[in-house]
Amino acid sequence: MAVTTGDVGVSSVPEESSAGKGLKVGALGLVSSLVIGVASTAPAYSLAATLGFVALVVGIQAPAVMLLAFVPMLFIAAAYYYLNRADPDCGTTFTWVTRAIGPKTGWMAGWGILVTDLVVMPNLASIAGSYTFHLFGAHGIANNTTGFWVTSVGVIWIIVMTAICYIGIELSARTQVALLGAEIVILFVFAIIALARVYSGGIAHSVRPSIQWLNPFKIHPIGALSAGMLLAVFIYWGWDTAVTVNEEARDSRRTPGRAALLSTLVLLLIYVVVSFAAQSFHGVGFLTNGNNVNDVLNALGGAVLGGGWGKLLIVCVLTSASSSTQTTILPAARSSLSMAVHKALPKKFADIHPRYLSPGFSTLLFGAVSVVWYVALTLISPNDVLANSILALGFGIAFYYGLTGFACVFYYRKHIFKSFKNFIFIGVAPFLGAAILTVLFVIAIFYYSDPINSSTGDQAWLPFIHFNFTFLHQHFYVKKGLGPPLVLGVGLLLIGVPLMLIWKIRNPTFFQRDREVAETVDAPAPPLTPGVIPVND
Amino acid sequence: MAGDIILGYDGSAGSKAALAVAVSVARAFDAPLSIVFGYEPNPMGGETADYKDKLEKIGDEMVGSAVAAAKKIDSSVRVEALVVPLRPVESLLEAATERSARVIVVGGSGERPIVGAILGSVPHKLLHRSDVPVLVVPAGDE
Repeated sequence: MAVTTGDVGVSSVPEESSAGKGLKVGALGLVSSLVIGVASTAPAYSLAATLGFVALVVGIQAPAVMLLAFVPMLFIAAAYYYLNRADPDCGTTFTWVTRAIGPKTGWMAGWGILVTDLVVMPNLASIAGSYTFHLFGAHGIANNTTGFWVTSVGVIWIIVMTAICYIGIELSARTQVALLGAEIVILFVFAIIALARVYSGGIAHSVRPSIQWLNPFKIHPIGALSAGMLLAVFIYWGWDTAVTVNEEARDSRRTPGRAALLSTLVLLLIYVVVSFAAQSFHGVGFLTNGNNVNDVLNALGGAVLGGGWGKLLIVCVLTSASSSTQTTILPAARSSLSMAVHKALPKKFADIHPRYLSPGFSTLLFGAVSVVWYVALTLISPNDVLANSILALGFGIAFYYGLTGFACVFYYRKHIFKSFKNFIFIGVAPFLGAAILTVLFVIAIFYYSDPINSSTGDQAWLPFIHFNFTFLHQHFYVKKGLGPPLVLGVGLLLIGVPLMLIWKIRNPTFFQRDREVAETVDAPAPPLTPGVIPVND
Repeated sequence: MAGDIILGYDGSAGSKAALAVAVSVARAFDAPLSIVFGYEPNPMGGETADYKDKLEKIGDEMVGSAVAAAKKIDSSVRVEALVVPLRPVESLLEAATERSARVIVVGGSGERPIVGAILGSVPHKLLHRSDVPVLVVPAGDE
């Protein structure tokens, strides 16, 4: 019987045959890597969700923060690139940290991914809900972002997006390119028109751009800088897929680097130009005022482009949010699938739907939990779902990206000093990236322990907590309760600890693993769990 | 020219019906039969390795049982199984080009046209994109 296994099947369909068919595999490879990187980052949605809050925290220095936040992300991307080479497992950080640092930390890293993906869902859903109503001119309904109607549309949004991931509906590559292209063009058009109108004068409260806006040293106090950074880290979240996905690119060795470089340039340009344009148009006050902080792109779109064209900006936030929702659900489901495959979660999570071939159970469960979490959050925190979720997100991202950076250094420790290139890319960069994120994480804990620093100001959670202490000559105190972003961001991560311990008692197999060290930098690592690779025939 | 008969197989009722037809077509032409299972996870989700491993395993089992079923119908037919890491339609087109296929045989999904349009119907896409004849076999009622 001539049953060829998958690998042989791959090789029996040679690369040349597709290249010869006029598919332009090479060109497609670069463009689609670029599309995946930029679309996963979702610039329009990221700006809509964060711009107001970044301005709220750091004022006119928002563009500086946008630039600065890229630094740790770039460093961590190096870690992603090299770890992905050793093991392109869909558990990503979970698998890598398990190998390098150990199963308990690895489990927590996996939990970190899941929790972070969960925290962003209410934000995505309420932006999608709100912008849908803005699109149809129902601004009153849209502005009540935790109201019944926006929440209902948000819930439908999550359900539809979960279904799309479950069934495995994909846009064609060409449609994706078109949608993303439109998103980028519209953002730039918006920024250019805004700036042109600022320079021609006559716009109320407009401010001419200043190069000083890029100066991070003008941000005080340090807490505000790190909180702003933690927010801005979110706008680059997902960018790492541009670096890792191209290991799968079907063609040359150059595509990965180029795609990553190009997507970086595109993103940096968009973020800096749009934040310059946004805050110069009506001044920072316009972005941070209570009516606009949640949906700056809607408010500005109308003001800058006028009603009809402003709608285009809304559409592009919606398409951006839809790709962002997908690139949240897909990796979340794959992470829990990977955890289950490695026996770090119940087997059920690794179920593959027989017909749709998606990680069925993981996908549906993530969708269901997201809906419950979203609705619960709108009930607990009716004033500020958007703000709290976006401010809390940074904790999760810093946590698992930071762990990824440390894991890279740990895993490749034998090779760091073997060449200058190694030293920089698997030593210095990942370590610095992880260190920066750790520092941001810690400072933000102190910053958000004071509810005054979250956007609602006076709303404190867990009011029974109160203490004070002095650390490094700084006096820290919590008078009554903590800021909601801290409770959400760190609280959800901490819930993982007891869950991990329960799983360890009930199912110790996964936790008996030993740490590993990379034997080489270039070759793939041996499988994490023996027997996972199919042993057919 | 080899002139393989290419069969798209995913374990569905339609593909089982197509298997029987593909065997008789292969016998009629005295041509080898290639049974293809193709799937590619959405690249938007990033890394996929162990997800792909699982899919490959599913694919191996799927085509393995299909080969056995084909041999059971007619043991003289030359059968080969291919698991291709591309989307279903792409994998069939690739296999067809590579094997200079005479015909691609697939099962009708038995879905209503609207559902097919939303979910993306393999026969429908093949009919538009294939350079070789496509034979669509209705699922019938088993």
